[in-house]
Amino acid sequence: MTWNEQLDKLLRRVEKPARYIGGELYSVEKDPGSVATRFGFAFPDTYEIGMSYLGLQIIYHVLNGMENVYCERVFAPAQDMEALMRAENMPLFTLETKTPLTEMDIVGFTLQYELSFTNIVNMLDLAGIPILSSDRKEGDPFVAAGGPCAYNPEPLAPVLDFVMLGDGEDSLREVCAAHEEWKASGAPRTAFLETICRIPGIYVPAFYEPVYDEEGSFSHMNKLFDAAPDTVEKRIVEDLNAADFPEKNIVPLIDVVHDRAVVEIFRGCTRGCRFCQAGMIYRPVRERSKERIKELAKSQIEATGYDEMSILSLSTSDHSEIEPLVTELMEMCRSNNVALSLPSLRLDSFSFKVLQEIQGYKKSGLTFAPEAGSQRLRDVINKNITEKDIYSAMEQAIELGWTGVKLYFMVGLPTETFEDLDGIVEIAGGIMEIARRAGGGKRGRFNVTVSVSNFVPKAHTPFQWCAQDTEESFEEKHLYLKDKLKKIKGVSFHYHGTHTSHLEAVFARGDRRVCQVLLKAWELGCKFDGWSEYFNYQLWQEAFRLTGISSDEYALRTIDPAAPLPWDHLSCSVSKKFFQMEWDRARKEETTHDCRHSCVGCGVNSRTKCQREGTL
Amino acid sequence: MSRYVIQFYKDGNMRYISHLDLLRLFKRTFKRTGIRLIYSQGFNPHPRMSFVQPLSLGYASDKEYLDFETTEQLDCREIISRLNGAMPAGVGIIGCRELPPTKRTLAALVEYAVYEASFELSEPIPWREKLEEFLAQEQILVEKKQKKTGKLVAQDIRPMILKVEPLERSENNDKYISLTLLICAGSNRNLNPETLLSAFCSFCGLSYAAETASIRRKELYCGGQDGRDGLVSVMEYTPQNH
Repeated sequence: MTWNEQLDKLLRRVEKPARYIGGELYSVEKDPGSVATRFGFAFPDTYEIGMSYLGLQIIYHVLNGMENVYCERVFAPAQDMEALMRAENMPLFTLETKTPLTEMDIVGFTLQYELSFTNIVNMLDLAGIPILSSDRKEGDPFVAAGGPCAYNPEPLAPVLDFVMLGDGEDSLREVCAAHEEWKASGAPRTAFLETICRIPGIYVPAFYEPVYDEEGSFSHMNKLFDAAPDTVEKRIVEDLNAADFPEKNIVPLIDVVHDRAVVEIFRGCTRGCRFCQAGMIYRPVRERSKERIKELAKSQIEATGYDEMSILSLSTSDHSEIEPLVTELMEMCRSNNVALSLPSLRLDSFSFKVLQEIQGYKKSGLTFAPEAGSQRLRDVINKNITEKDIYSAMEQAIELGWTGVKLYFMVGLPTETFEDLDGIVEIAGGIMEIARRAGGGKRGRFNVTVSVSNFVPKAHTPFQWCAQDTEESFEEKHLYLKDKLKKIKGVSFHYHGTHTSHLEAVFARGDRRVCQVLLKAWELGCKFDGWSEYFNYQLWQEAFRLTGISSDEYALRTIDPAAPLPWDHLSCSVSKKFFQMEWDRARKEETTHDCRHSCVGCGVNSRTKCQREGTL
Repeated sequence: MSRYVIQFYKDGNMRYISHLDLLRLFKRTFKRTGIRLIYSQGFNPHPRMSFVQPLSLGYASDKEYLDFETTEQLDCREIISRLNGAMPAGVGIIGCRELPPTKRTLAALVEYAVYEASFELSEPIPWREKLEEFLAQEQILVEKKQKKTGKLVAQDIRPMILKVEPLERSENNDKYISLTLLICAGSNRNLNPETLLSAFCSFCGLSYAAETASIRRKELYCGGQDGRDGLVSVMEYTPQNH
């Protein structure tokens, strides 16, 4: 039986077989024999999720733009496909050429979410690539990772040959060029790692050995290769207008989560919410110009035939040209029969005007993310939104005919008390009251959805030292809110499971020892932990028990800000001193202003110019 | 406003995209080519186009048909070349014909389909003789799940089978069957080819191994027209108002 016949036999038996076939418009065909570097871009979740991720499209575009590189995609097969692949001994393969992953030169995983880590281990196993870096031999692929969770990759360090910090556009090119040279030289595997650890932004975990003190706390990193940097600094693409960006995105053949044209309008955020890792690691703000955005939108729409387009960034309303940009994009989309969908904008009169225009009668949900219920706690987390902002926006929304709003909050934030939770209830009640007044004493169809997630302290944020709530405490708070909110008619309440939040904290602040738990959990059968239907907490607890590692030690500990951290040798170019200062200010309930007013001293401008500094 | 039908194949990996996926693919491909379709009115405008008969996921087809309306008149050859220039591998347009703008869709007129089906028997048997016996039955009852109630009801599929013949390539092979099937495929009477294959396997006392099957639709037909008897390919059929 040929490979294709064998694959056909499997595809006839699985759900959504088109997840595994490739062949989409603008997927790239190259002769694998004609390139120096075969790069497997691996997304540790299903096709539908991975193909909705813009980073994949950017990297795919950048790498395939290199003549000597062929980048192919691979996703985590769904459970039905995996079972058949294992039964038939079929190794994990790339979508483009159906090549087993073992034949790639580099397999690069994107780390978007802590609970996808078991899928990485599982994919390597399914590919037949040794799971531990130290077990890989000459001829095996190099296993790499990048993305937001790569800023603390220590729980995966024994699995990864190298890690890429920050924007990948330039470092990926440099790594591939180095790979081509290394391959031609015929030098041993380690020589490649010794070379690329000198490329800015590249971290080779094997060159650093963590040292723990007598009590078992992390003490410092022992560097094993002299030329490796003491601190690895993230890469920064300075000019987004000059940066490569896809004009012909791969157009999936099946329905994926976000199936539309998309242009990134800027990177970074100036607001400085203290819990937010994205707001720290993507600094500074770098904008793409209105003209360039329009140009990219136009080519994407023409090339793909999509009937929906979207723009992407953190805090989208903060683009310096947001009003003309949105107005002109609306115009362009309308004349092309394309629906423009916008990420949640700050709810001011402009965005209402825009929403009125693009949504017409079909008013989709409004969202608000006050994150905390009281002004005091919003000051602690530096979330710059007041009750007045919320109420006046809701008055407008109700007047314009909206019938609902979704509110996002976190529980378990540092210094939180039950009074802060009461604030959540008050806001929900206050909005319902506005709706009732507007309806002449009747609620009408209006409803408020309160959605609560659990605070997870993340590395490289001012809250990295903060203890997470215990699961019991989270549950108590959920029940407290549930009880109070159910008394308000028209309010519905949703909250996240506590087990996954606890695990997220373990991995977000984990050190290299946590890898043992990860491997054990995978051995016990954990995978797709981000999917509630597959998540199995008993197995995770068993994994902690068997490895003798305490999850509480990682999630629930308040860390001394003076103590060394397992990720201190990795830098997002925001200084530890700034995080410490912000942590102090948080506890004093002092806010820090948006750095568009003036520099707040985070340190990133020692690396690059902040375009938006002092522009407000 | 003009109306056309195109004939296309769906093969290779494109076998694995569903009916809805294919509809989306055509919608986007039309958009890329700049051929402007007529859209329905209302809050959720949809382009006016429809496949003559849905094709099951996993099946290949030599001849599928799409019926659509454009805002301006175009040359058929141009439609073919523009669509083929914008279509990913696995789907290709082979014919195009302008249709009179009647209300009757081709989907309502199609009645029969020819399939080629190959599959493996779980054990070798003299299946040619069995096939003759199978077809000689007056009734062939299969259990069919009712869509609404989920109840199993017996259905006679014999009247929907017009012709079943072994293909040459399966001669002298008792394990591997290749058949050509002419069966009903319309909005009134429709027979899934695998219902037939599975019924035949049960008749032989075997179970049907769907994962070994490879099925290809060869053509879709309308009933006779203009006093002509027999089958008329959708490509040659001209819908008329009553």
